[in-house]
Amino acid sequence: MDIKNVEKSWEPRILAFLCNWCSYAGADLAGISRMQYPPNIRVVRVPCSGRVNPYFIIKALQRGWDGVLVSGCHPGDCHYISGNLVARRRFAVLKDLLEYSGIEPERLNFSWVSAAEGEKFASVVKDVVEKVKILGPAERLVKR
Amino acid sequence: MNSVENSIRDVARKLLSEKKVDLIIGYEQGKVPLRTTPCFVNKIEDVEKLVWNACCDANLAKYSVGRKEKVGVVAKGCDARSITVCIIEKQIAKEKVFIIGVPCSGIIDRKKIDMKLEGREILEATVDDEKITLRGEDFKSVLPKKDFICDSCSTCQHRNPPIYDVLLGEKAPESTGVYEFSQVSGLEEKSTKERWEHFSEELGKCIRCYACRNVCPLCYCKVCFVDQTLPAWFGKTNDLSDTMIYHLVRAYHLAGRCVDCGACSRACPMGIDLRELLKKIEKTMKERFNYEAGVSLEKNPPLGEFKMEDSQEFIK
Amino acid sequence: MKRKVIKKSKIPVLIKDLTMEYEVFAPVKQRGFVSFERVSSGNEACLEFQNTKKPPKEIFLPQTEILFSYKVSKNGVETTESPAVERKMVLLGVRPCDARSFVMVDKFFSSEETRDKYYSQKKENATIVGLACNHPLSTCFCTSVGGSPFGKDGMDLLLSDLGDKYLIEALTEKGENLIEKLPLFEDAQTEDNDKATELSKNAQKAVRSRVSVEGLSKKLDMMFEDPVWDQIRKKCVNCGVCTYLCPTCCCFDILDEVTDDGKRVRIWDSCQFPLFTAQGSGHNPRPSGREMMRQRIMHKFNYYVDNFGENFCVGCGRCVRECPVSLDIREIIEEICSAETK
Repeated sequence: MDIKNVEKSWEPRILAFLCNWCSYAGADLAGISRMQYPPNIRVVRVPCSGRVNPYFIIKALQRGWDGVLVSGCHPGDCHYISGNLVARRRFAVLKDLLEYSGIEPERLNFSWVSAAEGEKFASVVKDVVEKVKILGPAERLVKR
Repeated sequence: MNSVENSIRDVARKLLSEKKVDLIIGYEQGKVPLRTTPCFVNKIEDVEKLVWNACCDANLAKYSVGRKEKVGVVAKGCDARSITVCIIEKQIAKEKVFIIGVPCSGIIDRKKIDMKLEGREILEATVDDEKITLRGEDFKSVLPKKDFICDSCSTCQHRNPPIYDVLLGEKAPESTGVYEFSQVSGLEEKSTKERWEHFSEELGKCIRCYACRNVCPLCYCKVCFVDQTLPAWFGKTNDLSDTMIYHLVRAYHLAGRCVDCGACSRACPMGIDLRELLKKIEKTMKERFNYEAGVSLEKNPPLGEFKMEDSQEFIK
Repeated sequence: MKRKVIKKSKIPVLIKDLTMEYEVFAPVKQRGFVSFERVSSGNEACLEFQNTKKPPKEIFLPQTEILFSYKVSKNGVETTESPAVERKMVLLGVRPCDARSFVMVDKFFSSEETRDKYYSQKKENATIVGLACNHPLSTCFCTSVGGSPFGKDGMDLLLSDLGDKYLIEALTEKGENLIEKLPLFEDAQTEDNDKATELSKNAQKAVRSRVSVEGLSKKLDMMFEDPVWDQIRKKCVNCGVCTYLCPTCCCFDILDEVTDDGKRVRIWDSCQFPLFTAQGSGHNPRPSGREMMRQRIMHKFNYYVDNFGENFCVGCGRCVRECPVSLDIREIIEEICSAETK
């Protein structure tokens, strides 16, 4: 990716799947506490990180989202007991496979953010946006 | 090979006459050189059709799924493992299948031979333990068998079926000193960009015929994800993005289930090496979950369970 | 029409000259097989081959073709037609079986009754240069289904390989126009013509695989519910390779795909695919491999015969060679012919 060709004003677009009970609440806390973090994410609220079908992630990449973030409860704290544990294995396999096939690993991001971790949420988003900005707009797997 | 062939016929005869099975699924000689074709025997007199040689490439587990009758299946190591996965996934009842285990030291890769002969037609072929003798219209070629067996066979770690109801013949020597994931490691060492370019080029040849899916014994879904509508997840054209996603998702669906029988790569008319992608899934299963598909009826498939201590180095 | 010859050594120059005015498609070496690709230089083409892996039908009927695209805005729906194909093409090295398949497929896509503009535009602008077969494959059975290794149906010119040169015979006005423009040809001598005739006779004999299709269509009329289909379907995994590599198979599906704009696309479909006859109600009149394989055989040897008077198979043998489980259509025909009917 030739960064020079990208307009200086380009901002990455990140699709974030946040689990309702922990990560979404954590994001909400960040907002209420007026913590500043990059506005590049679009949030999809899901009941649990285990609800996130790998097809969603792949479809997002195909539709041109520059990065994807999936965030859920810490292991042991899932509102549905084990949804995030099921998801963890699923995402591990998916990430390994997509990275191997040549999708930049920084485009696929996963985190555990609890309802009290507003600051962590802000820092995760900052981290993801910074990394994706370096990569440039998504090209591979994008369907024109 | 000959004695194993006779043993297969003996076992088949016995099973049919004692009515322990209603049907034997094995291989018979094909009309074209270097080919065999699946053979379905339910009469004792037809047992003579059954053969066993290095051209027995089809994964017969494909035919064992969803049957009402009891079947005896001739199974190489990989085929027996596929059957085991199908049993774990409740697609075959253990009591309804009789695995006739056959040790195998490798199946001939016809694509490798075609490349060597540069597409010249083979009119006659004989195969023995050491060599493949080929005759064409204006040539004769003798090739060392070990250089022309399938890649899935040269890295095979289960030349003898791990699960079987009867095991015929002498055990085949397991391969030693072969790192089965060397092709995958080689690709892992390249940069992400190089891997992308490599896979786009390989998978760009795909014509979306779905032969890979249809020969796979583990692709038994009544509605495959590519055929799903409401929603139609991914497109069916040969657009590169859709094509790559088809192969990536199929590989993902085979996580913890694929036994690397090689049937998909052999079936591909465009000669795409699908194993480059599928072997990675196997490597992930082994490294992350210490799991190998189809070697045990007791262990749960990794994506069907979880542990608190699962690795999560990729999670922030 | 006059016959000419061209030395094999001049073929790369011929191709290079042709690329000045035409898009040239010729067999190109891949890994262990040969397939039609667009060539820009003479050295890319390979005319020493038996047959290509994929038939040339994809040049006129691509696996994916965008019919038109559309945008929905507050002003309504704006459609943009796919640009008309005006470029001229030359297909070099088409075997007589594949050329004959064009004649059959034309009946659906480029006839007086039905004209598919996407197919026809390309076909009408194409000049087909056939290449006769001196060495038919052991799986070829063109002579059993009305074809011939030196057949002339469906092509504008026929090349015959005389060893160090090709005899070239113009069969249509289009073919004549092509060779008139190029100075690389010399007049054919009597010995050239004689050699070609001899090669043709030998090639006919060299097609050793014989399948009797005599009375097959009439027999199939009575066999729709015959148990022979249960026998045949046992090993077929309904993968679709036979239909994709068949020169006469031309079924297609039309879909709308939407990204930023919408596109109406036509893609290859196959009677072996599960959705082929799936209806909106959920009912599928061909629910299993048995019905799907029956459909393939009936279409080839019964329905097309009813409609057009000939078998819908050119005997190229690709389905025999490429079937992952080595199902042999010649064996199926024999089984059907020898089956007893009530």
